[in-house]
Amino acid sequence: MVKGKKLLITRPEHDYGTKYLSAWSTKIIKEALAKGVNVIDLHGNKAKQKEFEGRIKKLDPSLIILNGHGDENTVAGFDNEHIIEKGKNAKYINRPLEDKRAGRFLKSSNQVSLSLLKGHSAKEASEKSKELFRKEIGILLTSLHSDPDSLEDAKNLLWDMQHQVCLGAEDKKL
Amino acid sequence: MSQKKIQKMQIDTDEEIRNLVIARLTTISSDTIKSIGDEGTFTRDELIKHVEKGDNIGKTIQAVEMEWLRAMKGGLIQLLYGQG
Repeated sequence: MVKGKKLLITRPEHDYGTKYLSAWSTKIIKEALAKGVNVIDLHGNKAKQKEFEGRIKKLDPSLIILNGHGDENTVAGFDNEHIIEKGKNAKYINRPLEDKRAGRFLKSSNQVSLSLLKGHSAKEASEKSKELFRKEIGILLTSLHSDPDSLEDAKNLLWDMQHQVCLGAEDKKL
Repeated sequence: MSQKKIQKMQIDTDEEIRNLVIARLTTISSDTIKSIGDEGTFTRDELIKHVEKGDNIGKTIQAVEMEWLRAMKGGLIQLLYGQG
């Protein structure tokens, strides 16, 4: 795998608009190269979904720049083929650790392992995890009316918390 | 009350809950992805379809909603903060 920082950029060139974007993007590419960043340039007919997903999986770029047409749900590449579609492959541009919604759940459940590693008993670890679940739900309660995602996440956090069980010897420690 | 009437009320309630769950799911971000135990990972639109069908995945989503409604009725604040 290529080491160091990586920039993936798409530059479809199938009409005036994309030709302009592509040409102006060469300035970004030059700047990136000058800073020692590795550039993955999906130029022309390489700016297609299959190529895009393959490169992301293989090279895990630290920054992605998409040039092309689109709307609030899609970004297109060469010949207006969709490269990113919301709800379909938008996950490829996510960074799991930067996904705040997922973090609400995973921080809470990870607390079991972290507490065990710190020397707490199984029961204590589960309780500490549930404390974090409660804290996360409490934070969401303040924005339930303005953000539908918050309400949904609060419901799911409550479910996860209520259904997390500690089975076996509760006093066991690592 | 007759058995038939009770059954009808049950069906009406299920239908109401299903409609409520679908209405709520339609308001969340369309790129929401949920992982449900060993059933798999589902997009918002897939979840809506499962609730409409009323299959196991749909029933799980309904159960989450019901648990939330029960918690709201029974005192969510107490559950979250009222340990003492």
